[in-house]
Amino acid sequence: MSRQREQNNYLRRYRSISYAKWGYLFIAPFFIVYILCSLIPQFLTIYNSFFESYLDGLTQVGPNFVGFKNYVTLFTPDNNGVIGIFKYTSNTLVIWLLGAIPQFVIAMILALFFTSYRLNIRGQTFFKSVIYMPNLIMASAFAMLFFTLFSNVGPVNQMLIQLGILEKPFDFFRTRESVRLLIALMNFLMWFGNTTILFMSGIMGIDHELFESATIDGANSTQVFFRITLPLLMPIVVYVVITAMIGGLQMFDVPQVLTNRLGTPDRTAMTLVMYLNSYLTPSKNYGMSGAISVYLFAITALLSIIVYRSMIRQRSSR
Amino acid sequence: MKKALSILLAVVMMVGLLAGCGDKSSKTAEEGKVFNIYAWNEEFKGFFEKYYTVPEGITVNWIINPSDGGVYQEKLDQALMAQDSAPADEKVDMFLAEADYIIKYVESDFTLDVSTIGVKPADTMYKYTVQAATDSKGRMKGVSFQCCPAALIYRRSIAKDVLGTDDPAKVQEALSDWDKFNEVAAKAKEKGYYMTASYVETYRTFSNNVSMPWVDKDNKLQFDPLIEAWIDQAKEFLDKGYTLPAGIWDDEKNQQMFADGKTMCFFGPAWYYNFCMGNAMDPEKGCFGDWAIIQGPQPYFWGGTWLLAAKGTDNPTMVKDIMDTFTINEEVCSKLVENEMQFSNNTKVNEKYANDPNYGNDFLGGQNDTAVFVELAKNIRFEHKTQYDQLLNEQLPGVFLDYFLGNITREQAYANFYQYVNEKYPAIVTPDEA
Repeated sequence: MSRQREQNNYLRRYRSISYAKWGYLFIAPFFIVYILCSLIPQFLTIYNSFFESYLDGLTQVGPNFVGFKNYVTLFTPDNNGVIGIFKYTSNTLVIWLLGAIPQFVIAMILALFFTSYRLNIRGQTFFKSVIYMPNLIMASAFAMLFFTLFSNVGPVNQMLIQLGILEKPFDFFRTRESVRLLIALMNFLMWFGNTTILFMSGIMGIDHELFESATIDGANSTQVFFRITLPLLMPIVVYVVITAMIGGLQMFDVPQVLTNRLGTPDRTAMTLVMYLNSYLTPSKNYGMSGAISVYLFAITALLSIIVYRSMIRQRSSR
Repeated sequence: MKKALSILLAVVMMVGLLAGCGDKSSKTAEEGKVFNIYAWNEEFKGFFEKYYTVPEGITVNWIINPSDGGVYQEKLDQALMAQDSAPADEKVDMFLAEADYIIKYVESDFTLDVSTIGVKPADTMYKYTVQAATDSKGRMKGVSFQCCPAALIYRRSIAKDVLGTDDPAKVQEALSDWDKFNEVAAKAKEKGYYMTASYVETYRTFSNNVSMPWVDKDNKLQFDPLIEAWIDQAKEFLDKGYTLPAGIWDDEKNQQMFADGKTMCFFGPAWYYNFCMGNAMDPEKGCFGDWAIIQGPQPYFWGGTWLLAAKGTDNPTMVKDIMDTFTINEEVCSKLVENEMQFSNNTKVNEKYANDPNYGNDFLGGQNDTAVFVELAKNIRFEHKTQYDQLLNEQLPGVFLDYFLGNITREQAYANFYQYVNEKYPAIVTPDEA
């Protein structure tokens, strides 16, 4: 009897204890850091975009409230009727797509190879490390390397001339297509390893029996891929595409170094963040760069929603 | 055990912090122990380490940032703006400034009137170097250790091939104005040479002779006719293959200074060949001695390094000492000329070498370069400067290269340049702004 009561007491006491507070405590550091380092700066950026605030030499001008003036400037066409911000948005997206499409395709193929129980590739860890390697190099150092390789007096031009393919050096950094392709190539090289590893982990998470039973039912590899692997991998694909796109929209260091800050030729390799950065040095123009940041935020949100919606719908319609 | 260890560590840390505090508070009101100099390259540092004896107990701290893209000014500005709150050992004591932007610092309150620490303009200094370092209220903020009349530097062997002579007087005759220069360029091209190794090579000859500043009194951007003339010339030179599409500091250009280079002319002052023509001096691949200088089509100057005192320096005596050493100390100035191929900012020393029949520069095949520069220095006009000059002069050629290469029209190049100016200097009103 007394034993029963003791047990009841025990239960009563512990039922009232909530473990949730420990959970909140453990996630608190993230939220504190997020609020301090991301959320507040984000609101400050929006706030700053309504002010005129910059350095003229060593003199601080402003901050003066100017309403939407910075946004108006942003969307005003220049003497040739070009609206800069749209041009740089399309530059950014084109360069990103040039690198991202091969990146997804190659990464998917590699992930399939590495996870295939039929191929059973040896030395997987080695290959995985090697394809991840380019991501460990600092992007600016990587860009500097390409700058040296492809310059007018660099080894690539010298080789092409010696082989008789070219008569005089080809100016890789003053030709729209070659600059964009080089940037895309570098982004591809830096990120396909990372994407491969993400896809691999996704494929390995799929129940093996599904593949086996499909094979027993007579499905060929293509059918297995399109009917089983891809649909079940969709959540990972959506995640990879959206994070890659956000990263792509923020593309900066590679084109900045490769084109010596100018986005040559004719600013066709100028990305949105390069444009933003240009306002910051040397004049610390927080108003204009704030307005560009807000635009970038809006574009990123919009495109992410579009990508998410379209891919999820695809998935449910299958 | 762990607890004891962590307490021990915490105590050690606290002691360390307190020790740091103690250091600062116990410092006497005498001059600082750390001397901070901001610079954009190693040129002056080299002379400083050779010819200046640092007082005992003082550490000299060089903070060097590249000038390219305005990085140097940006870092310097940050430091100057934080000068008041910086601890004594981190205060900027002295910084170097170049002709393109010296006005920004001279006119600001971040520089010290050096007459208050006993530095005076000497009669032996070139007038323009004093004028450049003096603000509109007549306060002198620093001195220059060099005078920078610039010359046309040519390869003797190529001149012989193209013009049939390498005698400076005759080459000067053949290149005395831009029309003749263009004619010779065509001749050089026929023989398989380049006239210049960079399309920007002649830019300073035009831009430092302008008759109006980059911006007018209302801060409106304006193009001097000479800048337009340069654009015409650069377009013609690239179209006709007289020059290379390389920037002024690019490897592609510098490779042309080797013995197997095919370029006849370079443009620059004394600091250019002593500091930037390392390839020509390379013992294996270079062509030491195969050079000479002349005035060229138009006299001009380029650059120059001024030493400015930062307000709030805790080492005023050393600042004065350095400024005097590199301007009025004849022994040091003589060494600058003799050992470093400099053209010093001391007329007396320069004239001594100019008139010395035994003095010659081996790099220039024994030519007395100081004698040439003494004449050229008379033409220097330090005028029409703005605080925006560095980035405008640095990037105008870069932006216009797309036009020179035929990628865009001239109008588009102007539009791109206006856009560039809008981004860099919001205070400048460009023609595309209402």
